Amino acid sequence: MQARQLLLTAASMTLALSLAPLTLTADERLKHDGEFMVDGMIFGMPEARVFEEDYDGPPVVGETMTALPHLAPLTHEGNKTHEVRLDTFAQKIEVANGKTFNAWTFGGTVPGPTLHVREGDRVVFTMKNRSDEMVSVTEPVPGGSPFFSQLNENNYLKTEPAVSPMPHSMDFHSGTVAADDKWRTIPPGQSIEFEWVANYPGVFMYHCGTPSVLMHTAMGQYGAVVVSPKEGYDTDDQVDREYVIVQSEYYLRKHGDEYRYDHTAAMNRNPSQVVFNGHVNALNSEPLRANAGERVRLYLMNAGPNDTSSFHVIGAIFDRVWYEGNRENEWRGMQTVLLGASNSAVVEFIVPEEGSYKLVDHEFADAERGAAGTLIAGPRRQ
Amino acid sequence: MRTTRLASLSTALIVCISSQAGISSDRAVRIDGGTFIQPVLLDENQRTLEMESFYLDRAQVSNSDFLDFIQQYPNWRRDQAPGLFRDADYLKHWPEPDALGDGVAGADRPLTRVSWYAARAYCQAQGGRLPSMDEWEYASARQRTLTGQSDDDYADALFAWYSNPGAETLAAVGQGEAGPLGVHDLHGLVLEWVEDFELLLTMGDQTDLLNGSCGDTARMMPEFDAAHYATFLRYQSRSNYSPRTTTTTLGFRCAYDPEDMK
Ligand SMILES: [Cu+2]
Repeated sequence: MQARQLLLTAASMTLALSLAPLTLTADERLKHDGEFMVDGMIFGMPEARVFEEDYDGPPVVGETMTALPHLAPLTHEGNKTHEVRLDTFAQKIEVANGKTFNAWTFGGTVPGPTLHVREGDRVVFTMKNRSDEMVSVTEPVPGGSPFFSQLNENNYLKTEPAVSPMPHSMDFHSGTVAADDKWRTIPPGQSIEFEWVANYPGVFMYHCGTPSVLMHTAMGQYGAVVVSPKEGYDTDDQVDREYVIVQSEYYLRKHGDEYRYDHTAAMNRNPSQVVFNGHVNALNSEPLRANAGERVRLYLMNAGPNDTSSFHVIGAIFDRVWYEGNRENEWRGMQTVLLGASNSAVVEFIVPEEGSYKLVDHEFADAERGAAGTLIAGPRRQ
Repeated sequence: MRTTRLASLSTALIVCISSQAGISSDRAVRIDGGTFIQPVLLDENQRTLEMESFYLDRAQVSNSDFLDFIQQYPNWRRDQAPGLFRDADYLKHWPEPDALGDGVAGADRPLTRVSWYAARAYCQAQGGRLPSMDEWEYASARQRTLTGQSDDDYADALFAWYSNPGAETLAAVGQGEAGPLGVHDLHGLVLEWVEDFELLLTMGDQTDLLNGSCGDTARMMPEFDAAHYATFLRYQSRSNYSPRTTTTTLGFRCAYDPEDMK
């Protein structure tokens, strides 16, 4: 066992030496004792810190944290460290016209805000479990991220503060760490801080991993991280529009005036609603916009928690598809992209003509339950 | 282990408790012993337990009960209790460290924002103790059997409460219908501390190496119906609290051994 470990360590060191990026030395990218590089990627993050803080500031902090379907443009060169906060707390939201429920959320919305970083960037992440506080996301928040102003412009979830004390955790699929340390559960009133490096490009899910993980995710605790490849995608300078779409299911049953989580339905994979960006009407009341002849890029994430998505745009063909968002996984000319729960893709298509294009889950039972949206194309601009 | 060590430290905070003359049976009811099928698998080899008889408070400890306690043991006031035994929100909803208020801080409302250490100390000062997790669940299971509540109704009520616990508008203790055991509001008012709440999983010293993380329900559940999930969620969420944790929906009641009763 020990000999094998030694061999592995020796192999990793060789790899690190032979594949270290030319621009930065390992010393410049490694931040803490115990970190090491394999294939130019950084592993060995320090232990998570669990603590109590007297914090009642903005629950979402980070200049590249945006409300769906926006994506913050990256303005930095090379790699940087992002200080990100995403608190967890309950929120009453609407998921379809007149249908509200008390969701467990990251940042107050379902799905939570999208974090955008570049491959190789480091994220220093803080989360306070504020599930026993009333937290508002509709007040103006100095020091908050673009998320708040975007949400205020189009608060289609009609968010209202709620209280639902519960232990929670955060699991970033974009992080490569020991889950029993970083993704550990914290009770109400506690905060956790940990770091991860975006070693792989792509579109990644984040979610709460506390048992029952089915209930915690179905209650709304998930969102997307977009990690742009360090070399970019080949079409970067041709893309006119970029949007993020997260598909997910709700399992709700009427209980008095409100809707509540239905565990039997969740176990039976019988969703009450299947949605893009958290609401059956999210991409219809505010359709995506483009013009004829433009190249549109969608960052697609199927958060599940249970079902697949057969994503299709009626009237268009995906000219480029990067499965999971990795530029090595390129497909061409696809009509539909099949995403299992927690799979993702970056897709591009050329908008053929002026008109209206439906975005659907082509598993039509799910489209009929809400997984449908619209892209409206204006006239061609020269 | 951490909990045990800290528990004995917190016990030391109550100095010279004279043994009470005995607990009045007005306050607590006898729960007869019997056979109990555990609703969550704590040990692969054990499903059925033989329970001893014990007494359980009819209702949760109220704000006024706890005010009486801290007047006798001021080292459990929020301005005096050591930070080791409570988080920053301990009794935060009371207007003063030793005064009650309105709404959830009212005299007859269930005590919330109380740490496991403080709950334990309170019960000890009454000549009792916190119920064990098995005792609490046994009482709950017996009550369900006697009332004939269906699994679906039980699960519905619990999931509804978990997602909308009404922490801002708690009802008074002992107001919910008592049921055949004479016990009020086991479900639906506040979650309750039990003595061995970390038995299943823990965040500190790892009693369960697999840590109760994502997808760890199956190995702990004997059945996968909604009722077992609802019960599991109660175990699970309590297990993930720290003994210092205080929240708006967490209170407690005490248990007693038969020989301590009048
Ligand atoms: Cu959670």
